[in-house]
Amino acid sequence: MAARPSTKRPARPAAPAPVASPAAKPLALVYLLGWLIPGGGHLWLGRSMKGLVFLAMLPVMFVIGLALDGRLFPFTPGDPLVALAAVANIAAGLPYFIAQALGFGAGRVLSVTYEYGNAFLICAGLLNALVIIDAHDIALGRK
Amino acid sequence: MNTTSHLLLMALFAGCVAVVGGVLLKDTPRQQARAAAEIFGSLVGAALVLGWLLYFFPL
Repeated sequence: MAARPSTKRPARPAAPAPVASPAAKPLALVYLLGWLIPGGGHLWLGRSMKGLVFLAMLPVMFVIGLALDGRLFPFTPGDPLVALAAVANIAAGLPYFIAQALGFGAGRVLSVTYEYGNAFLICAGLLNALVIIDAHDIALGRK
Repeated sequence: MNTTSHLLLMALFAGCVAVVGGVLLKDTPRQQARAAAEIFGSLVGAALVLGWLLYFFPL
């Protein structure tokens, strides 16, 4: 007679020990740091290499945009495209406020590189927004 | 900035976006470099192709 299989359930593997998760960091602070200092959220969450690359590249893009006679757009709700460009500029964080305080970003429409400057300035802000979203995912433990 | 070369400025822009995009999308340095190269090539390639196509449709 064949032996009956044991009805005892195999012991469950022990649950993995909880790993210290970056989710413990307050999200609002991750957003604020990531916005003000490009890559700051990543640096605070321990992703140093990524954070340093963002910290180097995004302000460089912003400065190139200013050097190419780009404009920091004013926030004018009546003009939606200008308002969107202003939001993208503000998304660059501290570089935006420093440039405003120092009087840069007036823009020179007649300059040959004016549109290139705007592209650099706007994209620096939009890329910083993507970086903040990435930091959000890391903080939630999704990445 | 003194340069007014559209090609150079376009390549500079593509390079900056590619580096940030590559680092953002991938996790290991090798994958990041590959992704950055792909983004750079795509941006510059698309700009050149569109530029040549527009040659046939002058304003």
